[in-house]
Amino acid sequence: MNLLIFEKWIACSSSGAHPVHKEKSTHRACDVLGTGYSQTSCVFLLTVSKLEEVPLEVLRQRESKWLDMLNNWDKWMAKKHKKIRLRCQKGIPPSLRGRAWQYLSGGKVKLQQNPGKFDELDMSSGDPKWLDVIERDLHRQFPFHEMFVSRGGHGQQDLFRVLKAYTLYRPEEGYCQAQAPIAAVLLMHMPAEQAFWCLVQICEKYLPGYYSEKLEAIQLDGEILFSLLQKVSPVAHKHLSRQKIDPLLYMTEWFMCAFARTLPWSSVLRVWDMFFCEGVKIIFRVGLVLLKHALGSPEKLKACQGQYETIERLRSLSPKIMQEAFLVQEVVELPVTERQIEREHLIQLRRWQETRGELQCCSLPRLHGAKAILEAEPGPRPTLQPSPSIRLPPDAPLPGSKGNKPSKQTQKEQKEQRKQAKASGHLDKPPTPSQAKTASAAGDACPPQDVALKDPVYQDPGLQDSAHHCSQESLTSQESEDTYL
Amino acid sequence: MGNGNEEDYNFVFKVVLIGESGVGKTNLLSRFTRNEFSHDSRTTIGVEFSTRTVMLGTAAVKAQIWDTAGLERYRAITSAYYRGAVGALLVFDLTKHQTYAVVERWLKELYDHAEATIVVMLVGNKSDLSQAREVPTEEARMFAENNGLLFLETSALDSTNVELAFETVLKEIFAKVSKQRQNSTRTNAITLGSAQAGQEPGPSEKRACCISL
Repeated sequence: MNLLIFEKWIACSSSGAHPVHKEKSTHRACDVLGTGYSQTSCVFLLTVSKLEEVPLEVLRQRESKWLDMLNNWDKWMAKKHKKIRLRCQKGIPPSLRGRAWQYLSGGKVKLQQNPGKFDELDMSSGDPKWLDVIERDLHRQFPFHEMFVSRGGHGQQDLFRVLKAYTLYRPEEGYCQAQAPIAAVLLMHMPAEQAFWCLVQICEKYLPGYYSEKLEAIQLDGEILFSLLQKVSPVAHKHLSRQKIDPLLYMTEWFMCAFARTLPWSSVLRVWDMFFCEGVKIIFRVGLVLLKHALGSPEKLKACQGQYETIERLRSLSPKIMQEAFLVQEVVELPVTERQIEREHLIQLRRWQETRGELQCCSLPRLHGAKAILEAEPGPRPTLQPSPSIRLPPDAPLPGSKGNKPSKQTQKEQKEQRKQAKASGHLDKPPTPSQAKTASAAGDACPPQDVALKDPVYQDPGLQDSAHHCSQESLTSQESEDTYL
Repeated sequence: MGNGNEEDYNFVFKVVLIGESGVGKTNLLSRFTRNEFSHDSRTTIGVEFSTRTVMLGTAAVKAQIWDTAGLERYRAITSAYYRGAVGALLVFDLTKHQTYAVVERWLKELYDHAEATIVVMLVGNKSDLSQAREVPTEEARMFAENNGLLFLETSALDSTNVELAFETVLKEIFAKVSKQRQNSTRTNAITLGSAQAGQEPGPSEKRACCISL
C-alpha cells in the first residue's frame, strides 16, 4: 500500500460535512478499514483537494514524536502537557489519531480497567425499546461513507454493537440519537471495543448530561454559549437577541455531535483532536467563532433580516469560515477559558433553578480535557501500557499469527518503525526490550507479554507517581531536528 | 411577511412536523419542498426546516416547514420549536402501530406548547408499503374526526398525497386568517396584534398572519 497517497488522502479536506463524500465507484478509497483502494481515485482526490497539506517530512516527524509520547504517556501528561496540547492543536497525524484519541480521552485506561466488559455487554441482549430505535438509526449516519453505506455491513454492525453496549452499560441513560454520529466518527478510527470506551468517556467526562433524559445539559450550554457571545461578538449577540432566536435552534446539532455533522471533514478531525485534549471549551470556541463570523458584522446581517433567514444562515455556513486552517487558528486564539465557562455555568444554573426548579440530571462537574480526566482517575492506577501486537524488532520477519488480526495501523507503523530505525542507525544493534517496545508499538490489540517480563517498569502496577518512573526510552529524540521542551 | 395595509398579501405560515422517530417527517419535508426522497436521510438532530411558496387563490403563501427529532427525550427542548406555529402535521407510520398508539401523547404535547387554534392534520405515512400496514385507515380517520383533526394517508416515497396534505393544511390556515381579516375590518380594528376586549378573533390568530415566525 502506498503510504504517501493514503496519508495525503486522509489529509484532504472535503467540501461537505460528510467524510469523503464520494460516488460509489470511488468508494474504495474511503474504506478506512480495508487496505485496498484504487490509485486513480486517490489521484482524483489529490488533484481536486485544495489543502492544508502537511509536508511529508513534517508528517513523519510528527508521527515519531507522537509515538514517543504515546509510549511514555504518563510522563508526558505529567510534565509536558503543554506540549501535548500544542501538538493536538497542530493536528494529530492521521495514522495515530485513533490511538491518540484513546490515550487522551482515557478510553484506553478504561479498557484496561475493564477487561472483558465490552464483550460481556456485546453478548447480552439489550432492551428491545432501545434496540428498535438504534436499528432505525444505523443507516442514517454518514450514509455516504463506505463504512456505513451497506445495511448489515461491518460499519453498521459495529455501530449497533457500540450503541447497544452503552444502553446496557448505563441503562438509566439509554440511547440518545446524537450518540450515533459520535460513535460513528470513533468507529472510523478504531475498533468497536475501543470506540465504546471512548464513547463512554465522552458521555461521562467530556459532555456529561448531553445525552441524558431531559437534555438539560445541552440547554444550559446553549445559554452559556449565548452569554459568552456577548463579549466575543456584540453584533451577533444583539442580532440573535432581537430576533428572539433560541440557542437550541442552532447549537443543538453543533454541540451534541461535536460538529461532526457541521464542518468539512478535515476540520472535524482537527476540532476533535483539540477537543479530546482540552475538553468542551473547544466546542464552545468553535461555536463562538462560527457565530461571530456568520453574524458578526452589519454587512453580514444584511441578508439576515428575519428569524428564518438568520437560522438559515447558521445552517449553511460559508466554507471559508469552516476551513481547517482558518477555523483552528481562530479557535486557538479565542480567549475563552475554562474558568469563564465554569463561571457562566454557575450563573445559568442559578437562573435555571430560579425559573425552572431543580435540575433532574445530577450535574457532575465536567472534566475539561485529557489532563483533568487523568488526574480524576481514582488511584492507584496501572501504568499505561502500550499493547503492541507485534513485538519483534524492526528487522525480524512478520509473525505468522499472534492470535490477533494485524490491524492496518500495525502494518503501516511497522514500516514506519523500520524507517525510523534505519534513520537512527539502530538497525544493527540487538533490540533492547524498550526498543523492541518502541519498534513494535504498532497496534493495541493485545497486552505485552515478553516486554512486560523484561522491562521492570511495566511490572509495577502500583506505581502512582508516574513522573518518577524511569522509562528506558530516553526523552531525547532519535531524530536530530526534533525539539522538546 | 404579512402586512394588512399592502395590496398583495404575502403570508408566511410556520408549519411543524411532529411524530415518532422514523415515521418519515424528514422525507415529507424534502418531498414537499425539494421533491426529494432518500432512504438514508440523516437522523434529525436539532432543528431542520425548508420553505416552499404556494399560491392559494391570488395569495402567495410561503410555507415554512419545521422538522425536528422525534425521539422522546428531544421533547424536552422543543418549546422553541413550536413557537409561532400555525399548522402541524402529526405523522405516524402506518406500518408501525406503535407510532400511531402514541398520537394522543403527541397531541397533548402539541397543545401544551402551541396555540390552541393551530391547524392539525393527522398523517399516516408510508402508504406505499401496503402489505405491511398495521393501522386501518378507518380507525385513524375516526380518531381524527373525533379530535377535530384533518386526515390523510401519504407516501413520501412515491409522493402520494404529499402536496395535498401540506396544501390542505395551508388552505385551512389561510381560511382562518382571511376570516379574521374580514372580522377585524368589520369591527374597525386599527392596531394589528393588540387584543381589545370583546373583539374577535383572539390576538393569537391575528399574530398568525402578521409575523414571519
